Amino acid sequence: MSATMSANPFPLGKDELLQAYRTMRTIREFEERLHVDFAKGDIPGFVHLYAGEEACATGIMMHLNDNDRIASTHRGHGHCIAKGVDVHAMMAEIYGRSTGACRGKGGSMHIADLSKGMMGANGILGAGAPLICGAALAAKVRGDRGVGITFVGDGASNQGTFLESLNLAAVWNLPVVFVVENNGYAESTAMEWAVSCDSYVDRATGFGMPGVTVDGTDFFAVYEAAGEIIRRARDGGGPALLECNMVRFYGHFEGDAQTYRAKGELESIRASRDCLTILSERVIEAGVIGRDELQAVDREVGALIEDAVRAAKAAPLPVAEDLLRDVYVAY
Amino acid sequence: MSRKISMKQAINEALDLEMRRDPTVIVMGEDIVGGTGAHGEDDAWGGVLGVTKGLYAKHGNRLMDTPLSESAYIGAAIGAAACGLRPVAELMFLDFMGVCFDQIFNQAAKFRYMFGGKAETPVVIRGMIGAGFRAAAQHSQMLTPLFTHIPGLKVVCPSNAYDAKGLLIQSIRDNDPVIFCEHKNLYGLECEVPAESYAIPFGEANVLRDGDDVTIVSYGLTVHRAMEAATALAKDGTEAEVIDLRTLSPIDWDTIIESVERTGRLVVVDEAHPRCNLATDIAAFVGQNAFGALKAGVQMVTAPHTPVPFAPTLEDLYIPSADSIAVAARRTLAPGGQSPRIAA
Amino acid sequence: MAPVVGIVANPVSARDIRRVVANATSLQIADRANILLRVLAALRACGVQDVLMMPENGGIRAHVERGVMRAKSRGEDIYPSLHPVAMPVTGTVADTHRATVEMRRAGVAALVVLGGDGTHRAVAADCGTVPIAGISTGTNNAFPEHREPTITGLATGLAVTGRVPPHIAFAANKRIDVSLINGANGGAVTDLALVDVALVTERYIGARALWRTENFRELYVTFADPEVIGMSAIAGLLEPVGRDESGGLMVRLSADGDGAGEGRRGTTTLHAPIAPGMMARVGVTDWRRMPADVAFVPEVAAGSIALDGERELSFTERDRLSLTLRDGAFRTVNVAAVMRHAGQNRLLTATPVPATAF
Ligand SMILES: Cc1ncc(C[n+]2csc(CCOP(=O)(O)OP(=O)(O)O)c2C)c(N)n1
Ligand SMILES: [Mg+2]
Repeated sequence: MSATMSANPFPLGKDELLQAYRTMRTIREFEERLHVDFAKGDIPGFVHLYAGEEACATGIMMHLNDNDRIASTHRGHGHCIAKGVDVHAMMAEIYGRSTGACRGKGGSMHIADLSKGMMGANGILGAGAPLICGAALAAKVRGDRGVGITFVGDGASNQGTFLESLNLAAVWNLPVVFVVENNGYAESTAMEWAVSCDSYVDRATGFGMPGVTVDGTDFFAVYEAAGEIIRRARDGGGPALLECNMVRFYGHFEGDAQTYRAKGELESIRASRDCLTILSERVIEAGVIGRDELQAVDREVGALIEDAVRAAKAAPLPVAEDLLRDVYVAY
Repeated sequence: MSRKISMKQAINEALDLEMRRDPTVIVMGEDIVGGTGAHGEDDAWGGVLGVTKGLYAKHGNRLMDTPLSESAYIGAAIGAAACGLRPVAELMFLDFMGVCFDQIFNQAAKFRYMFGGKAETPVVIRGMIGAGFRAAAQHSQMLTPLFTHIPGLKVVCPSNAYDAKGLLIQSIRDNDPVIFCEHKNLYGLECEVPAESYAIPFGEANVLRDGDDVTIVSYGLTVHRAMEAATALAKDGTEAEVIDLRTLSPIDWDTIIESVERTGRLVVVDEAHPRCNLATDIAAFVGQNAFGALKAGVQMVTAPHTPVPFAPTLEDLYIPSADSIAVAARRTLAPGGQSPRIAA
Repeated sequence: MAPVVGIVANPVSARDIRRVVANATSLQIADRANILLRVLAALRACGVQDVLMMPENGGIRAHVERGVMRAKSRGEDIYPSLHPVAMPVTGTVADTHRATVEMRRAGVAALVVLGGDGTHRAVAADCGTVPIAGISTGTNNAFPEHREPTITGLATGLAVTGRVPPHIAFAANKRIDVSLINGANGGAVTDLALVDVALVTERYIGARALWRTENFRELYVTFADPEVIGMSAIAGLLEPVGRDESGGLMVRLSADGDGAGEGRRGTTTLHAPIAPGMMARVGVTDWRRMPADVAFVPEVAAGSIALDGERELSFTERDRLSLTLRDGAFRTVNVAAVMRHAGQNRLLTATPVPATAF
């Protein structure tokens, strides 16, 4: 027993661990590429990058299947990738191409893939929470054991919609998990200032549901806590809140000078709180996955993103008829 | 003294001047100061596009950052207005109206009437509107018709820096709730603006160009498209009169009617969706009040009946263009002045 | 000069997964702040004028400052002055270590700690001879005793102002030192536990809290109190060992707690409250006393080490692990003894009357 344990001490098999790493690396590479290409002026509109926060989406989404629904935020690329949305379709969407996940109609802030249970990134803060209560209600009515996860930022958690949804989910005992992605800032405003009770667990408690805080830069911490919470919701145990403390590597949106951060803050979080480094060092040190194997994943992911950008740039633009299409199912 | 400044600077200046003049003026909104509670620079943002930048240094705590809770702080601005302050609340993108509309249309707009004329609610809610920023469906809308529909609200939408300054000063001094719509694609546009304080009265349209052949009425960004169209039309010898409404509620019916009575032809340009918008409103009003003067059917140039698309190729088609305005104007001049039925 | 007291209040204790798996308490930030205000009022009543506080951004300090400010604006002068320690806030346990070191350097007479076993453990690692007055705001909390914090504050105030003789006011405590020598690189890690060290076969840290019993293998406790929950409850229900006795207890566990009867020979099944509201069956192979200053080398070859209920370290067969219990490792304020002494000597009457002979 102890021999097999030491071969892989983790709650996930080697393949799953590699998958987790691949997902996180794909998100990172996707975002870093956007960071560069946005600065070059290749990308229209605004983009909010998930770099630094990958462990959260990945640790949660590994417990979900396509029948489980998520509602995302304006910072949604990571949620999309972790929920299995096609990276080529995402990139094409961000480039406004007709091959995009939303045929170029939505852009970065509205990527969705309903077939994957991804109910959309969202430009309106707090809008996802009521929607996911509906998704969970549908799952409950159908009895299909589906769960709904809504992501919300520390700032957006102050929206009435979010607080009302906590209450509704508790009253209806819905299979919902409210994930607070606490990266410390809402645009430039500090969480400590904007959130009156200073604790999401307190808020959850106030609405009669359990709340848990984890280090959102530690994939295993997120994975384990999310696993318990999601299982509980699936089994009819009701809603819960999971706060992931994490860090945002780039500005609020691309182009943000971030002068509100303390001196040295960015350097320090990149050095000590990079979830990808934390995960890779853990698995390498345990002797479960070799550095070379991770590097092989890095190369594959690099090629994937490169190809996605190439394909997006080469893809056709939407045409005039597309403007009027899909306003209604029938009209 | 007058100098060239952008619409963004003009708005900043109007806020500054009014805050100096009247200690009851306070300004609130998300990140309008920026960096609150954080450990870096104070006044780090001055609003998402920097419109309020620098005001904190001058007025300190009269500028208040808010949590991301529009229902609460827009409502609080309204409540404070009903109790003697003159709050200017920034609603970053007016699309976010969705989360706080009750406070505006069921509360602010109705206090005066519902309370038998005993309440005053001098609040200004200002924010960005309009397309062209590649900001997609939830950050690009022209929601002006939603606001003009509500009795009790005043609705302002300047097309340039000079008007923005004078109209914002008037909005702050006005004793009714005002929705002040700032087109995000006009922020950078500069024009001559006096340094001193001045107010532009509500309900006075600005005739930007005189002409006797056709009247083009618009507001906001599309005023500039209308002017381009007028220049193009002038090359063919057609002189268009271009009217910038400036305020949509109240609206300057007299200027419109007077012009149509002279030209007999009307094109109304609205960046909002085609149904029940400013264009239909004006067309109907002219049809009812100046039918005899019309020599041709009224033409409406609007955005299509679709959400705002993200893809730049589509968004460029979405916003009424100078070409489409010129085509509409020519249609009124065509024999019979009839146009094919345009599907909404 | 009046003695200065240090306060370490952890805003993030009691937020872990046990809220979901075991209905554990989650004490709200506002409640923690109120506890602190009660402690402060008690300290001030005993003559403490200045208090050093660990800075944190979790909200406790902000609430406390608001409370102090409100009292002042009502004209009440009931709190000592608060001085935050000048140090950066990282939001991690490093803050507790740093604050403890700084306060010790500043010469505080006692440290009031609000937190669970983990917080107390971090303070105990750095407090040297400064006595700790513990208040439970965490989940497992075998270490801090449960009582109204006003009384803890009073006892601390009486102790640090010298009105209770030190041999009554302060008690000695045990701890277990953990030494882990990395077989691969020879690097050494040392750590400590105030109450229990549990060895489990799962080898990742994850959500830290310990609540699955299948993987429990060995347990070492400084004291075994049948009235507490957590790992030490297992020991306490087998053979109680007091806080004031020398030495502790070690317990060997087996994987078969649930398969009652099918366990290997000599295994008994014990029902123990291993987390709040969570009674678990654990298979017990054997147990014995753990004398002080004797290094124990565990049988488990690889797994992780939970210190006072939280997985902290992991180890493999290549690493060398040893555990040593120390008597008299650090001091705490003996609240029960101080208050008894205060009553017997009428310390809180207007004119204290010396005790009649005892
Ligand atoms: C209703 C609404 N209000 C305001 C905004 C503008 N806005 C977009 S993102 C953002 C900050 C969100 O902060 P947080 O929720 O912490 O998420 P993060 O950006 O840190 O991921 C704001 C104010 C919006 N999109 N919707
Ligand atoms: Mg945030």
